[in-house]
Amino acid sequence: MRERLSNALSEFTAAAALVVLFVALSFASPHFLTADNLFNIGAQTAVIAIIATAQTMVIITKGIDLSVGSVAALAGVVGAITVRDLGFSIWAATAVAIAVGALAGLVNGLLVTVARIPPFIATLGTMSAARGLVFIVTGAVGVYGLPESFQLLGNGQILGIPFAVVLTGVVAVGVAFLLAQTRFGQYTYAMGSNLEAARRSGIPVGRHLTAVYVLAGVLVGLGGMIAASRVNSGQPNYGIALELDVIAAAVIGGASLFGGQGRIIGTLIGAFLIALVRNGAVLLDISIHYQMVIVGLIIWAAVYFDQYRRRRLESRG
Amino acid sequence: MAPSTTSNRRATTRQRRGGSVLAAVVATAVLAACSGVEVRDGSDDQAAATGEPTAASGPLELAVLPKAVGHEFWNTVRAGAECAAELAGDVTVEWDGVTAETDVEGQVNLVQNFVTRQVDGIVYAATDSTALAPATQGALDAGIPVAMIDSGTDPQPEDVPLYATDNRAAAVEAANLLAEELGAGEHEVALIEFQPGSQTNTERVEGFTEGLGQHDNLTLVGQQPSHSDVNEARRVTEDILTANPNLAGIFAANEPSVLGAAQAVEAAGRSGEIVIIGWDAAPDEVAGLRSGQISALVVQNPFNMGYLGVQNMVEHLREGSPLESADTGVTFLTQENVDTEEAQAILEPSCDNPPVG
Repeated sequence: MRERLSNALSEFTAAAALVVLFVALSFASPHFLTADNLFNIGAQTAVIAIIATAQTMVIITKGIDLSVGSVAALAGVVGAITVRDLGFSIWAATAVAIAVGALAGLVNGLLVTVARIPPFIATLGTMSAARGLVFIVTGAVGVYGLPESFQLLGNGQILGIPFAVVLTGVVAVGVAFLLAQTRFGQYTYAMGSNLEAARRSGIPVGRHLTAVYVLAGVLVGLGGMIAASRVNSGQPNYGIALELDVIAAAVIGGASLFGGQGRIIGTLIGAFLIALVRNGAVLLDISIHYQMVIVGLIIWAAVYFDQYRRRRLESRG
Repeated sequence: MAPSTTSNRRATTRQRRGGSVLAAVVATAVLAACSGVEVRDGSDDQAAATGEPTAASGPLELAVLPKAVGHEFWNTVRAGAECAAELAGDVTVEWDGVTAETDVEGQVNLVQNFVTRQVDGIVYAATDSTALAPATQGALDAGIPVAMIDSGTDPQPEDVPLYATDNRAAAVEAANLLAEELGAGEHEVALIEFQPGSQTNTERVEGFTEGLGQHDNLTLVGQQPSHSDVNEARRVTEDILTANPNLAGIFAANEPSVLGAAQAVEAAGRSGEIVIIGWDAAPDEVAGLRSGQISALVVQNPFNMGYLGVQNMVEHLREGSPLESADTGVTFLTQENVDTEEAQAILEPSCDNPPVG
């Protein structure tokens, strides 16, 4: 009960910041509150939001996935190559990209559960290896010459709404349901709170933890494909430092690196908060250097308020 | 441009690379086999010790080192170097490099290794202007002349020439071209830079803003970096377009910045309406130029860098001519001139029709 209240509180803080920023930007720039701009923000945030969703699942298990940027790039370039060289459709290419992500997730999961390597180190290795593979398969040159249809995921629309936004919604609702309403979700939180207790209570910890990494990999693969589709090419340098953005989104939204805590709604709020800062900064022509400082301040503030509220909650309880 | 053209070009590059790797291996093997019985001519040694060119027409071995191997740009530099070597005759190009431009220490070691090997001359592009200065000096001290391509050192010794693009001058021209395309009247323009802090980026940004200063009717309303990431270039351009509905022109300062900017403009349904001046000539950039998405591209001449580096080094070694720096030049590619022979020579350089001189 207290856990849930605490979750809701940190989400409330982040949501309040989001609303304040939204209102402030609406006044500061006449171009902010327009349908075009809001759709743009949605599409710009889609990839980060989807990959942050994956990261949140891993963080809840008291793990971390540093390989998301490299794996997203690998999935994107492999997907693009299957279209360019093998004539795959965008759907088949997406399936391949998701499979690449799942495979990377499986490797991460096995390294953590079977080889017993701490998640930070295991995924650090995957981060390097996957980036190397990206350069090997592309020869360090972008994958170009793709057909118009390749842009569907990143630039297409359904009923006037960007396809990428729809996909983000589907992913977010699906994972939120999985975490909140199913045994899979219960196990995930239980392992993050206390792995030993989870093991003793009969949860098949190894298998389940691996499944979390694989599912995260699936989402990272999808995200990488959307990113590639958005720029109609496979970019070998895509996603460098992406892991920092998605970890920031999850943490701002209330996920705890100590495990057992975090919800998808919070992560989405975190992702949009970061996106709004970036969008607003460009609309107001603020230099990138200040944008980075502002995002840093938000991370500090979010975690500080979170800790503060938790302490008060605990001293009362 | 059809994708097949791209892959053909890559295939030839690969073959070329394969061929010269083989040549290098053979050359190394032969050298290794001979080294045991090699007798050096006394006058040669003396000349080398004083740093004076050897007025010999014998075989020359030159080390040509890019910032990193495995990139299209550097493969073209290599083609130029090998072309000059072939035309000069009896010149072996030892092509070797580190795998990442950030491996500064690796390149320092590489240069030292070629000094130890006593090649006749070193032609290279510095990964870091300060860190490589001692390496260049070390080669000169050992009596091996050095020519720099693409990026020099700081300080740059007087007798070491630099064959490179004058980024600043080309960026000033890009601003002029943007002004010309936009015509009379007040216009808002934006700048998509790539890596704030890097030297090339700084030169292009300063050149462009200097150029803008000559056109009072152009106002810079947005300047954001892409960090050489197409996705990020697209995002910041979208936001600049949102903030500035009257935006009339964009200068994007490298390949990923151009591609992202063009896609943002396309997605906003304003393709052809907003003038984009880009840099570099990746296949998708040239395709964008043909379709009218992009108005002009500033294209460097990496072939000429390799060519001039080797050609001048050979003349210096054989005829004693002094080594003098040269701007390798840029070409402004537009829809009108993209299919001309001159432009094609730059885009698909070959030794049959070298884009030099």
